[in-house]
Amino acid sequence: MSRIIVVTSGKGGVGKTTTTSNLGAALAKHNRSVALIDADFGLRNLDLLLGLEERVVYTAIDVLAGECRLAQALVKDKRLKGLVLLPAAQNRNKESVQPEQMKKIATALAKGYDYILIDCPAGIELGFRNAISAAEEALIVTTPEVAAVRDADRVIGLLEAEGVNKISLIVNRVKPLMVEENKMMSVEDVLELLGVPLIGVVPDDEKVIVATNRGEPLVLGDIESVPAKAYSNIARRLEGEKVPFLDLMANQGNILSRLRRMFGG
Amino acid sequence: MTFEPTISLDKVDDLPDSSPLISRYSQIYLKNDGEQILLILPTQAEINSDLPWSETWQELKHLLKTKEQSWQIGTNVCLVAKDRLLDARQLQTIAETLNDVQLSLSTVSTNRRQTAVAAATSGYSVQQNSAQPLVENQTDSGDVISPTLAEPLYLQSTVRSGVEIRHPGTIVIFGDLNPGGKAIAAGDILVWGRLRGIAHAGAQGNHQCRITALQMEFTQLRIADAVARAPKLRPRRLSPELAFMTIDGIRLADTSEFAKRYIFSSPKKAWVEKNQAK
Repeated sequence: MSRIIVVTSGKGGVGKTTTTSNLGAALAKHNRSVALIDADFGLRNLDLLLGLEERVVYTAIDVLAGECRLAQALVKDKRLKGLVLLPAAQNRNKESVQPEQMKKIATALAKGYDYILIDCPAGIELGFRNAISAAEEALIVTTPEVAAVRDADRVIGLLEAEGVNKISLIVNRVKPLMVEENKMMSVEDVLELLGVPLIGVVPDDEKVIVATNRGEPLVLGDIESVPAKAYSNIARRLEGEKVPFLDLMANQGNILSRLRRMFGG
Repeated sequence: MTFEPTISLDKVDDLPDSSPLISRYSQIYLKNDGEQILLILPTQAEINSDLPWSETWQELKHLLKTKEQSWQIGTNVCLVAKDRLLDARQLQTIAETLNDVQLSLSTVSTNRRQTAVAAATSGYSVQQNSAQPLVENQTDSGDVISPTLAEPLYLQSTVRSGVEIRHPGTIVIFGDLNPGGKAIAAGDILVWGRLRGIAHAGAQGNHQCRITALQMEFTQLRIADAVARAPKLRPRRLSPELAFMTIDGIRLADTSEFAKRYIFSSPKKAWVEKNQAK
């Protein structure tokens, strides 16, 4: 049984593409076959983050136009067996694809891969509807900011109306120190509002930016970093494992506040 | 689908005067009618503009998903399309959507010839009429404030950002009303959960209507033509609270206290304290 999962958020810049690339890589490391679909036509990024840009020959548009076979358009990742990318066309915009066409592609891929991860564009227009048309599950990425959470809420409503009911939440870019000082929404605040199960918390980290620029998902490079661990934990939870959440507070704050936490204060 | 009747540059402080009274409900709704269920679409006039078909369909899907599943499997549905133009494909989409929740479209009632033809071609029975005998006065009363309210709307889900629930009766939400979400009722609004969005009770001008929630963390409350914003800092209360109209505007009270202390005064069009009413 393959799973078709859309990674979406509503708001832009919260880390959908980073999440998609890292989860794809992490799942592939668990010996799963994973196909990533970049649904962000006209503004594709997923190939960059995976470091596959120069190897893109055909795109999803070419497949739909019948110019190549689906298998030809898939870009294989050299580092990981089992990870492939279906790139989006950069020279077209989102109106050039219809939801039914996306669905056709995703169902075709589902025959050969364990996981199909769809990287959804920001917004709730046609690009979004294309991306969710085939999805059976959704991962909502949000940051602990009011605007991002509000948009995530809207997107969850739209997904539920479309019948995508298996929805999990990833809270990205959490700054434990700011949460500690009550300057940032905590993960609990976000959860309370959205009311969907949490599948992962990823801390804000400069290493993510470095990895992004290098075109190498963090879970392949700096595997000891906290965000890399967080991503591979999410992958394990997707696989059905019970993995405890990382204690992001562990290395934060001074000795006093740490002691206070220890005694439950 | 949201539309403001007026666009003004009024400052927020002037809001109590400029709050719109809602006399129209653009919402699609379902109604039990003996053996069958009526699925009533808003008229062209009610939706006020050419609302895209996809939005209407979205709304229908949302309604079917959240509405209390109070029907028997396979119940027949009569689509009351009024003056709305529907083609064969749209009718098919409606039929499929109804099928998903185990309802079957059997009859189409319309006063547009093209819709009747499309429905007949697709094999549904058609009731073509210029008047709407199936619908009672409350739904097509137009600008006149209807004397009776519709039966309460019971929603079994959280109302999320971007969703607007309009109903010409009382609304009961078994879940939260999230920020960015809106509930507009001609009657009362009861939220069995957190109220964090906008709630407008008595939207046709009834000052007696109340809003109640297990946790009041609203963005804005409106009762009839009055508006109240949330104070910047409000300690979190754990007990359910109730908002109602007083002579000085909207007030909040503990739900348990309310019935003991307040009584509605019709001449003043507001709730007053019992000992002062005499």
